Amino acid sequence: MATTALTPAAAGYRSGLYDWVTTTDHKKIGILYVANSFLFFFLAGLLALGVRAELAQPGLQFLSDEHTYNQLFTMHGSVMIFLFIIPMLAGFGNYIVPLMIGAPDMAFPRINALSFWMLPLGGLLLFTGFLSGGAAAAGWTSYPPLSEDRPLGMVGPGQDLWLVGLILIGTSSILGAVNFLVTIFKMRAPGMTLFRMPVLVWTVLVTSVLVLMATPVFTSALIMLFIDRNYGGHFFDPSTGGNAILWQNVFWFYSHPAVYVMVLPAMGMISEILPVFSRKPLFGYKAFVFATAGIGALGFSVWAHHMFTTGSVYLPFFSLMTFLIAVPTGVKMFNWIFTMWRGKLTLSTPLLFAIGFLTMFLIGGINGAFSASVPVDFALHDTYWVVAHLHYVLFGGSVFGVFAGFYYWFPKMTGRMLNETLGKVQFVLMFIGFNLTFFPMHVLGLEGMPRRIADYSSAAGWNTLNLAATIGGFLIAASMLPFLWNVFVSLRSGKVAGDDPWEANTLEWATSSPPPPYNFDRLPEIRSERPLFDLRHGRAHPALTPPAPDRTQQLPAGH
Amino acid sequence: MSTRPRSRPANGTIIAGLVVVGLLVLLAIAAAAGADLAGSARRAVDSMFPPQAATAQGQQIRNLYDIVFFFAAAIFLLVEGLIIWTVIRYRRKPGDDELPPQTHGNNIAEVTWTVVPTLIVAFLFFISWQTLNSVDAVAANADVKIKAVARQFQWQFVYLAEDGQTELFTQLLPQGEGGGMNVPVGRNVEVLLESPDVIHAFYVPRFLFKRDVVPGQTNRFEFKLNDNEAGQSFNGQCAELCGVGHWTMTFQVHAMSSTDYDAWFQQQRDKAQQTPPPAGSGEPPAATLELDAQNIAFATNALEAPADKPFAIHFVNKDAGVPHDVAIRDASGILTNGADVTGPGEATDPVPPLKAGEYTFFCTFHANMTGTLTVK
Repeated sequence: MATTALTPAAAGYRSGLYDWVTTTDHKKIGILYVANSFLFFFLAGLLALGVRAELAQPGLQFLSDEHTYNQLFTMHGSVMIFLFIIPMLAGFGNYIVPLMIGAPDMAFPRINALSFWMLPLGGLLLFTGFLSGGAAAAGWTSYPPLSEDRPLGMVGPGQDLWLVGLILIGTSSILGAVNFLVTIFKMRAPGMTLFRMPVLVWTVLVTSVLVLMATPVFTSALIMLFIDRNYGGHFFDPSTGGNAILWQNVFWFYSHPAVYVMVLPAMGMISEILPVFSRKPLFGYKAFVFATAGIGALGFSVWAHHMFTTGSVYLPFFSLMTFLIAVPTGVKMFNWIFTMWRGKLTLSTPLLFAIGFLTMFLIGGINGAFSASVPVDFALHDTYWVVAHLHYVLFGGSVFGVFAGFYYWFPKMTGRMLNETLGKVQFVLMFIGFNLTFFPMHVLGLEGMPRRIADYSSAAGWNTLNLAATIGGFLIAASMLPFLWNVFVSLRSGKVAGDDPWEANTLEWATSSPPPPYNFDRLPEIRSERPLFDLRHGRAHPALTPPAPDRTQQLPAGH
Repeated sequence: MSTRPRSRPANGTIIAGLVVVGLLVLLAIAAAAGADLAGSARRAVDSMFPPQAATAQGQQIRNLYDIVFFFAAAIFLLVEGLIIWTVIRYRRKPGDDELPPQTHGNNIAEVTWTVVPTLIVAFLFFISWQTLNSVDAVAANADVKIKAVARQFQWQFVYLAEDGQTELFTQLLPQGEGGGMNVPVGRNVEVLLESPDVIHAFYVPRFLFKRDVVPGQTNRFEFKLNDNEAGQSFNGQCAELCGVGHWTMTFQVHAMSSTDYDAWFQQQRDKAQQTPPPAGSGEPPAATLELDAQNIAFATNALEAPADKPFAIHFVNKDAGVPHDVAIRDASGILTNGADVTGPGEATDPVPPLKAGEYTFFCTFHANMTGTLTVK
């Protein structure tokens, strides 16, 4: 069967493009997700370069006016979050979760395709704003009344396009979450009990619960704001009896759990990579699973820590909850470190990026304690300190995690290895650029530089650090060149990977690279969370199980 | 089932990378400190802390920050050190194909690193709560009550009577000559925050404090400036995105000694109570100047008027939904303040006779809208 799968699809009327557009194969959809997310990553990165270029020196040099500036950072944040990090992780989940649990596909392959195709459409709507007199310009948080059509907000049709685009993307997220939940609960291979699932599957499971509970709330808020703007609703407009703080509550009720949506699967990827390259099991598997569930649960009771300065929330409760969520996060950090402890570390590129995640996410996590302390947050809120904090979590954490995962699973997805030297060059450049960009922002924030300002006075004393941050930003951009070159070269002539180049632990490495449609001809026996490790090192059961029945017949054709 | 030895990767790369990062960060900080290497180490440490607090409340926040920073720094050094040491110490040797001990966990360790962090965050929460109660406390009757009105894109400070409602006088300009929020040191100052349009935030870095200005609700907070700050000015700025002029929404707080403040307050109050002289005293205006405003800018930045004769300004506001007006000031302060016009709209403001000289005309709502009025 593996051989038939490797035969190209039936020739004739089906072109390669047609195949990619109509596919319902979770692996192809996963690759589409990843490619689409990288596209938006580079676009949003260019927007960030615009922001950094403008802030390099005092004075408005690079951009013509503040309106353009507001569009740039609004779109940078929105696209990075909604069209890069969340879908990127969903894409990895899409590709890997069914393989990891020994399933032939996602539970609802067509819904899977639908949820992917909403993304480029939503992204297109967001970017169309630039052609229609200005993209959304009220920040990715889009607080009303500014995001209502207030004079001087210069928030035009781009804001409506932003709303509709995000409604599409939100719907895509919800459908994806349902698909993951059903897949994980109903389609695990025999022997794959919940507590034998790889940690990545656990994190995707918790993430899906978060998405399922929070995203509909956010989507309704988007619809309410759309009604406010276009059909005379007054939900969020205080001048006509609405409440501006209501939006913030609803927005953060989604957007704080969304932070965990953006970081939990990356944590899951790290938790797959560290054991493989340490040649040890994950330290404290169950504690890790409970910590993940704990973060998910606590994640719903901390949203108002984004609103400490509004004067409209009960501060001690949200402060306590925010402090407490540090505990399960700390548990994970120690689990990761002690996974490496007394291991035998192979410092390949995936592990380097994973270590980058650990060292940088640690800073982002510890910073959280400052924001959790309400009076300290009074000083830091809405300054560049917060910009530093969120980038240490989402870039230092999620993005390093994404690259770790990309280097780790690229051989499985394509059958070829990425170049190690280019990978290490990318890592070093990115690591330096990242710290040079975002570390100085802590200091800028403490000195009083607010977020989202297009310009600052030369007398404020912020010149040098802003210049450093801009240089760092361009260094990050430069680190993408070896990456792109690496992908380009390795796809054409990279070293052939084989089924299991890393001596890995989980089921996706038991099938060919890339896997055939419907994934497995047969599965090894699953007796722990590391079936392949057992297969490699176990004494009693060296052989594979007999071939599983051919399940492809039960599934719709035309993947 | 491969048992082939894997080639040893270039471990030097990551270590070199880390060293380079450390050096770069140090260099950046050194450069920021003006390359004065003796002082730069101290300044590097100082840069991790907020500026010196100017208020009693800010000082409490600073003390709390220092405690949180101490725990954060200790945990950071411990954990980051552990990561780096582990990575360097436990590298796989070339040709080493033996499996390390397959440790699955350790209950004592896991309970420890759950309980100890819980105790630490519980402690941090407790002291944060204590500080919060004290920082957020509002005295029953503050000595000075000021309503700060934030609108796109200007701050105005309305001084209130003891009842907290009656408006005595307004500082029309947020900073510069005669503008800004003047407050006495050593007394409780209550600030009421109001916005007629979108959300803004009152933020003074040296107060270590900010509070949002939310339309539809009045937020309030209190501060007391330290006695030794008399004569100092503190820069403040809007901290919540409020539109295209967000970054221009700056203001200043001027700390005055009690006696200076009382004198200034009395003077302003008296000035406000005087009925303004009847403009033009019935005499017809000698000239009518035309002035348009559009896109938050005056159509011209130079006007001319005859000296010692009343004249008028015909003002047209073409910005839909945006308030503008025309006021005239010289070094002594604001001389006239025309009618507020919300666009589209117009008004004719009478101006009393002015002596020959140069004056500034400006919009009290938008600090960047100014021009020169030449009277001759």
